[in-house]
Amino acid sequence: MQLEADTAGLRRRLIAASCALLSAATARSEETSVPEKLGRLLENWQIQSAVAYYHEDGRIQAIEPVVSAARETSDGGKIDLNFTFDSLSGSSPNGASPSRAAQTFASPSAKSFDAARHTYTVGPGRLPVDPNYSDARAAGGANWTFNLSRLTQATVGGKFSYEDDFYSATVNASIDHSFNDKNTTVSLGVSSENDFLQPIGGAPVPLSDYTLFEKGGHKSKRGEGLLLGLTQVMTRSWLTQANVSLDRFSGYLNDPYKIISVIDGTGNPVSYVYENRPDSRTRRSAYLENRVAWQRSSVALSLRYMTDTWGVRSDTAQVRLRWWNAARDQYLEPSVRWYRQSAADFYRPWIVNNEAQGPDASADSRLAAFHALTYGVKYGIKLNDRLGWFAREGTEFNLRLEYYQQTIQDGPAGPGALSGLNLYPGLKAILFQFGFSY
Amino acid sequence: MIGCVIALSTVFCSACSSLGVKPWQRELLSRQDMRLDGNGLDDAIDDHVYFSKEASSGGRSFAGGGCGCN
Repeated sequence: MQLEADTAGLRRRLIAASCALLSAATARSEETSVPEKLGRLLENWQIQSAVAYYHEDGRIQAIEPVVSAARETSDGGKIDLNFTFDSLSGSSPNGASPSRAAQTFASPSAKSFDAARHTYTVGPGRLPVDPNYSDARAAGGANWTFNLSRLTQATVGGKFSYEDDFYSATVNASIDHSFNDKNTTVSLGVSSENDFLQPIGGAPVPLSDYTLFEKGGHKSKRGEGLLLGLTQVMTRSWLTQANVSLDRFSGYLNDPYKIISVIDGTGNPVSYVYENRPDSRTRRSAYLENRVAWQRSSVALSLRYMTDTWGVRSDTAQVRLRWWNAARDQYLEPSVRWYRQSAADFYRPWIVNNEAQGPDASADSRLAAFHALTYGVKYGIKLNDRLGWFAREGTEFNLRLEYYQQTIQDGPAGPGALSGLNLYPGLKAILFQFGFSY
Repeated sequence: MIGCVIALSTVFCSACSSLGVKPWQRELLSRQDMRLDGNGLDDAIDDHVYFSKEASSGGRSFAGGGCGCN
């Protein structure tokens, strides 16, 4: 009897204690602060964010916030989401050559030269640029990686991009297989992109006279890509990757806003026509990347060779060095990139009036022969326990600065009045980026 | 060119079995700066700039840009 009484008393005390604990826990959960809730929400996600400011000397400026979020799934896979927004404004080259006399052009939205607010005038000797250029782009993408077996993973994904005059949708899929103790990975990827263009003022009739405003309609293009990759762990501190890729785009590949000066024998412009590019383009590229690490430093070297059916061949080399401080919570990362390309077969800085020429022509300097150099430096600091309740391993704040210079080379000399003018001014730009990873 | 790269890759692959490390030797390789996608947003932002200013794109990944800028 005594034992039963003690057991009943003990049960009552246990129930009372449990109720007290539960009510205390409930009270605590009700008092959970917003930061704590945010911390729990982000607990399994790795967040990277950055805002880049890009500024060209006398031309375009852009601001670009980017956010990506990734988390591992319970089966060892991964979900990756990303979002980008670009806002651009400034002056964009329209393709025409400089001239000894002032030149007046119509904005893309103009229907005639009559409306003064739709025209702009470029001074003698100056590169013709549309000073009212502005654009905005929103883009988002997602990738899901999942295990097919212990050594094989598949990734499926897609991305979407929207501008006032351009929409793009891409789907991609790839499969990776590892062997040799996971020291070797081979991968095969495919992608398919569909783009829809609604040029402001309509798509111009290729090679039509600029003053006739023969424009209208929407255009589209599509592309397919194939990428074969091999990744190899070479040593305890050396990793290498080699890719070969092939992609083909077809459809409307013109820039609807680019024109070409038609000059006479004296070098003076007599008219302007819209550009025309081939309606298909196949690119092949080979890419090699090596990464080597030491205790407080690492180096990444990448090389790329590309050739396409437009006659463009390019070489790219980039090296990044990273040095850590003794505590390994701060680093400095200088980088250099060198790039050169040959001109497209149909690149023409101008057309000489009444002179025979092929069906394709573009004065877009991006299709000219040039070389470019980029110098950059990045500083990063691991915040780890410096953020109080927000603290987490891997939290990082970083700043990056880059300078880009493009120099046009081997452009034909200007005849007559064009001689002595700066026909190929090139491009200088800076990029400043602020980043935060959590 | 593609054929040469594939042939070289085949030769490279056949040599793969003598390369590599054991799982417990991956300390340096597991660092963030040794990941092939370790430059994440920097590469995405740079690739967008280069895509809009040059005639080449891709190599590390697919060549498409999803941008009307070029």
